[in-house]
Amino acid sequence: MVDVNLSEAEKTFIVHGIQDNFREDGRSNEEYRQMDLETGLMSNTSGSARLRLANTEILVGVKAELEEPKPEKPDVGRLEFFVDCSANAAPEFEGRGGEELATEMMNLLYRAYSASTVLDVSSLCLQSGKLCWVLYVDVLLLECGGNLFDAASIAVKAALFNTKIPSVKVRQEEGEETELEVSDDPYDVRRLDVSAAPTVLTLSKIGHNHIVDASQKEEACCLARLMMAVTASGSVTATVKEGRGSLDPDSITEMMQVGKRVGKAVNEKLLETLKEEEQKGLKRKTVGFLR
Amino acid sequence: MLTSKVFIKKTKRGSVMKIVREHYLRDDITCGSRVCGLCEHPKKQQKPPLEENPNNRSSLCKRQHYLLPDTNVVLHQIDVIEDPSVTNVIILQTVLDEVKHRSIPAFKRMKDMLGNPDKHFYTFCNEFNKDTYVEREPGESSNDRNDRAIRQATNWYRQHIRNVDIVLLTNDAENKTKATNAGLQAFTVYDYIKSLKDAGSLVDRLANPLTKVSIQGNKVLFPEHLHLSDIQRGIKSGRYHQGNVLASRENYLEANVSVGGLDKMVFIQGMINLNRAVDGDIVAIEMLPESEWSCPSSLVLVDREERQKEEDDLDENEKEVKNPVPEELRQPTGRVIGIIKRKWRQYCGILQPSLLKEATRHLFIAAEKKIPKIRIETRQAENLTGKRIIVAIDSWPRTSRYPLGHFVRELGNVGEKDTENEVLLLEHDVPHSNFSQAVLNCLPEMPWTITEEDEQKRTNLRHIDICSVDPPGCTDIDDALHCRRLENGNLEVGVHIADVSHFIRPNTPLDNEAASRGTTVYLSDMRIDMVPELLSSNLCSLRSNVDRFAFSVLWEVTDEAELVGKPKFMKSIIHSKASLTYAEAQMKIDDPNQHDTLTESLRNLNKLAKILKRRRIENGALSLASTEVRFYVDSETHDPIDVQVKEIRETNSMVEEFMLLANVTVAQKIKDEFPHCACLRRHPSPPPSNFDPLIKAAKSKGLTVDVSSGKALSDSLDKAQFPGNPFFNTMLRIMTTRCMMQAVYFCSGMLPEDEFVHYGLAAPIYTHYTSPIRRFSDIIVHRLLAASIGADATYPELLDKQKTQMVCNNLNYRHKMAQYAGRASVNLHTQLFFKERVQDEEGYVLFVRKNALQVLIPKYGLEGTLFLNAPEKGAASLFTYDEEENTQTAGDVVFHVFDPVTIQLFIDRSNVQNMKLSVKLVKPVVPGFSVPPAAYKQTTEPPTKKRKK
Amino acid sequence: MAGVELLSDQGFRIDGRRPHELRKIECRLGVFRQADGSAYIEQGNTKVLAAVYGPHEVRGGRGKALHDKVVVNCQYSMATFSTGERKRRPRGDRKSQEMTMHLQQTFDATILTTLYPRSQIDIFVEVLQADGGNYCASVNAATLALIDAGIPLKDYVCASSAGFVRDTALVDMNHLEESSGGTELIIATLPKSQQIVFLEMNSRLHEDNLSAVMDRAVAGCTDVYNVLDTAVRDHVGETAAAIGGDAA
Repeated sequence: MVDVNLSEAEKTFIVHGIQDNFREDGRSNEEYRQMDLETGLMSNTSGSARLRLANTEILVGVKAELEEPKPEKPDVGRLEFFVDCSANAAPEFEGRGGEELATEMMNLLYRAYSASTVLDVSSLCLQSGKLCWVLYVDVLLLECGGNLFDAASIAVKAALFNTKIPSVKVRQEEGEETELEVSDDPYDVRRLDVSAAPTVLTLSKIGHNHIVDASQKEEACCLARLMMAVTASGSVTATVKEGRGSLDPDSITEMMQVGKRVGKAVNEKLLETLKEEEQKGLKRKTVGFLR
Repeated sequence: MLTSKVFIKKTKRGSVMKIVREHYLRDDITCGSRVCGLCEHPKKQQKPPLEENPNNRSSLCKRQHYLLPDTNVVLHQIDVIEDPSVTNVIILQTVLDEVKHRSIPAFKRMKDMLGNPDKHFYTFCNEFNKDTYVEREPGESSNDRNDRAIRQATNWYRQHIRNVDIVLLTNDAENKTKATNAGLQAFTVYDYIKSLKDAGSLVDRLANPLTKVSIQGNKVLFPEHLHLSDIQRGIKSGRYHQGNVLASRENYLEANVSVGGLDKMVFIQGMINLNRAVDGDIVAIEMLPESEWSCPSSLVLVDREERQKEEDDLDENEKEVKNPVPEELRQPTGRVIGIIKRKWRQYCGILQPSLLKEATRHLFIAAEKKIPKIRIETRQAENLTGKRIIVAIDSWPRTSRYPLGHFVRELGNVGEKDTENEVLLLEHDVPHSNFSQAVLNCLPEMPWTITEEDEQKRTNLRHIDICSVDPPGCTDIDDALHCRRLENGNLEVGVHIADVSHFIRPNTPLDNEAASRGTTVYLSDMRIDMVPELLSSNLCSLRSNVDRFAFSVLWEVTDEAELVGKPKFMKSIIHSKASLTYAEAQMKIDDPNQHDTLTESLRNLNKLAKILKRRRIENGALSLASTEVRFYVDSETHDPIDVQVKEIRETNSMVEEFMLLANVTVAQKIKDEFPHCACLRRHPSPPPSNFDPLIKAAKSKGLTVDVSSGKALSDSLDKAQFPGNPFFNTMLRIMTTRCMMQAVYFCSGMLPEDEFVHYGLAAPIYTHYTSPIRRFSDIIVHRLLAASIGADATYPELLDKQKTQMVCNNLNYRHKMAQYAGRASVNLHTQLFFKERVQDEEGYVLFVRKNALQVLIPKYGLEGTLFLNAPEKGAASLFTYDEEENTQTAGDVVFHVFDPVTIQLFIDRSNVQNMKLSVKLVKPVVPGFSVPPAAYKQTTEPPTKKRKK
Repeated sequence: MAGVELLSDQGFRIDGRRPHELRKIECRLGVFRQADGSAYIEQGNTKVLAAVYGPHEVRGGRGKALHDKVVVNCQYSMATFSTGERKRRPRGDRKSQEMTMHLQQTFDATILTTLYPRSQIDIFVEVLQADGGNYCASVNAATLALIDAGIPLKDYVCASSAGFVRDTALVDMNHLEESSGGTELIIATLPKSQQIVFLEMNSRLHEDNLSAVMDRAVAGCTDVYNVLDTAVRDHVGETAAAIGGDAA
């Protein structure tokens, strides 16, 4: 993947810094970098968000489409995740080069949202066994600057928060065909309750310590990572260990504690920011390259 | 650059797709007024349309003002707006879009008005103007938004133009209140029109305000119409069907509904079942249970003196026919449960004389019996009695037996030929106004000359001996022929068609007008041209001894009429040597003393034509009789004084044969070149069940008609003879014609290739190429052909199959209407001819109906209806009808199909509205019914009587 | 009457533009830090990101390297949410591959390729929102990204399209106009020399009308050029000011 080549000395510098809870960019171990977040930029999607975390740039678009529910779950709608690592982010991603990373991110998102408590998918079902909303959550990675998983999950949550589903009434009478009534009022839309939706928090083990929101250089020093999907209430909906190194059970417990704590804070801050942004409405000034 | 323009996105939702469209708002949209000093009016236009001193005199608004109507005013009061006295009107883009969305006819009329410089109408693109655009607010319906947009634009104008006031016309109370509160001048149309100084007949033209309905009494007569969304759901679920109402031409209380997907029409009978559907409407119907199925009363509705009772008495002929219907005759029957789209138009007719002289409410009787009476209000009833008038329907509330409408204009006195011609044109929707200035501006300047460039682009065929053969008096000659011997011994045949597409360029006003007219309409005494006369009778007409542009097709053929090589197509210049009539051409051919090249050429053509015709008939082409009648008209009174069935000569068939050949050849060529967008003509094979009446009729005379194929049908018709009845074969052929489907234009991309066939001509592919002066289809075909040989440019619409199909649909409609109008004109003249005479004639029974015999009178090519009613009211009919055997019996006299009869022709004047030709029976004698032969003496013998030889 | 009227009697297109008017163009250079050059462009609702990497070593086997000029490697890709109906995959479909090829041809003809033999330049284009004129916006974005990367070009490449409706040529077709099935001519030009480096036409058009449509499209390219040039000058100005500011 996107590698940064570091010399031994540089690595040592980073590891030592972390030991002293003072990282190469001045943060403490449990501190996040500055994030830019904007929602509702892509007018042709149902919901969208753009997130910039240091040099990591992620664009998420949500499209709501009407489809048949899965036969084994006739009463619920669903989320479909798709991740595309654009070659813009790194030439290595050209063609199918980004697929491995994309699959990994996709799987984690599926896992994070697999718990039934995180999002009320049953409200997405319009007619049992026949018709439900499928939310296609498409993540587009535009630039890599470390901590992709966290950034992607935060952007996804923001995009879901921003999602507006057209209000549709289903009517059915004796006949076979179902009739859809779509409201012609563009303001007549449904919103999703994302208060219980998780974000991913990655704890990177560097030396004997673990840090959140690792930069690209720090990632190069890291041997093992623990990724957790944490909700605002502090519950963990998915956990994945990743990396070449190994972790001992004690440090996992410890990392879980940190993860929960930081994750909770991140979620709270995120919701607060999103609501604030929404309050400002169209009057807000947009930053970043998208309008 | 416009990067500085503000823009706002509009989202539209389809079913579930989110569609985003950009919407640019501009600051360069002008107000269109001459008093405005703020806007930079575009220089190329002479002057903005809105005048400095709008001459609208109203007591409501003393100052000079412009009018600004809202959508509903435009839709419902278009007759008022069309009045020449209504000028200086601002039409907002919002309004225009809504009108277009809701009524295409109203939109077209609106466009005509906007194009008319005398009306001083102006379209203000308020949706694109940054100051007048409004965005929909949360919770606001789109109608409310549009109303707000209209108010916003009114306000903008008010602030923009200080010297002239703006008057908003709206009938919506809420909109009016909001406008008034915002300081705008807003009135209802009623108040405004009534306040006009010289309102005059304008008040009559106001569409019925709905508020007045309540006066009608509250008795609900009709079931409620279902809501559109319920209808749509019902149609999807298959419970209801959607179709077009085709009211019976004789009785508006019976109709058929053509439903897609069902092979039979659904029958609808009675006032309640029809539930306020008027001919042409698109309705939703529900099938009745089979036990309630019915059948047309095959009762030809008789016009009786109608008892004049104003209110809710049923007219005699509106009583519902409720005979138990024999099961085998039952047809699928349904009832109307909702109206999907009204297709109301304007109707011609007369006022029903009212007992109360001073009454302002009157009933209007349409000339067409398929239209119900219409209730209108007018203060000029006295003036209008005995006049033909035009009326439009506004609404049809549940409490009213008749639809409510308003007076539009008067045409003239009943019975006058001009009035009646006008009626007939209006009833058949034939556009017949004079060509507008914009159209005339497209004509070439006179004197017209052939330029050097033309010479270079075109093949010079001036040296060839070309001639045209047409009926006498023809001024729009669109085809000419030649035939000459080539050096290799073969013959070269050329068909030269007037090059109309050279003069009518695509997308010009002239082109649009011709496309809209679709065809030239021939009435007995007038011709309504599709293109201005300068083209039709001069520049395009292939007259003799002048140079003309032609589009030529040349074939090389052997003496046995075998084609050699490929046909050649070229734009050419020809110099016709003679414009012959059929008779002149025939004389030339028959005269053994003539040996000039022209005569030889005609003889060769004739010889080839005979071979071609034989071959065509062998292939199964049908030749179907249709009697055409020609009137000799008195030069002073313009009344017809004699009538003659058109004579068919060999030369008629000669010309026809080559036209067919040209059409088929061109059809193939354009289909090959433009497989998806060729304009072709097809004649679908009729479904076998169509032939049932024919087979039945033939069987009664012991003959069998094989209808398995065109060829078989053609053969059995040729064989069918019945001794003692010289018209038997002709009558069979007339009946066959009635079994046929309509031939239609279509776009080749819309149908699979095996449906291209022309059944009647037994041709796998066919089009119309040879009469571009009088048919628009031929102009399209010319353009396609020209493009295929690189002689002319294509344009996007020509290559768009949807657009071509739309053009075809219009042509089919116009073509059908032109045919009906032509027939109606013949009827009209027949009536005039018999105005002063009573005459006995030989006739034959063509159809036997429940209460009438349809009689063919070969001498005039006429059909008359002999009603078999009791001679006096109350008495029992003398006739018994046998539905199985298809006979009528009175005593020992039995009438079968094909039976010869003698009948007396006269004009029935009992009804002023529809004077009509009536017939009475002379022979065979049925006591108490038949009449004695007329003294064979005409009351007024025309002094100069031109009789045919 | 049915269907949409692409050009009204008053001479306006559906979105309120006149026939000769482009959509609103907004663009920015240097939107990414990682790429050697990058740019973002909006042409109306069509939004495109372009990134340029290189010139660098030839990736993926030396066999690809050319001894006399640089390898121009392009990739056209569309975000799955960029279209009205969601796309199944961002690239690899026939249309994208064709676009990739077209871009490659366009820039092979524009970059001074002989300056960098045995190397490679990557041009990656990502369509974020598609509303017609995708190729044009891609070319224009890529041009800006190349300029941002400092790669020597013969000239700007500017692309624009034109259609033909009611005897009038319309410049810079949006999606609605493109999908109405009429003619569309897409060209990319080098504005200074007025050379056409790319041309594609859909549907039939009579050659008599071709010059009108072509002129409109070329005029569109020139207008695009003016916008792009201003953006580049502004960007350079700002960057220079920033550097100057640091120095001072």
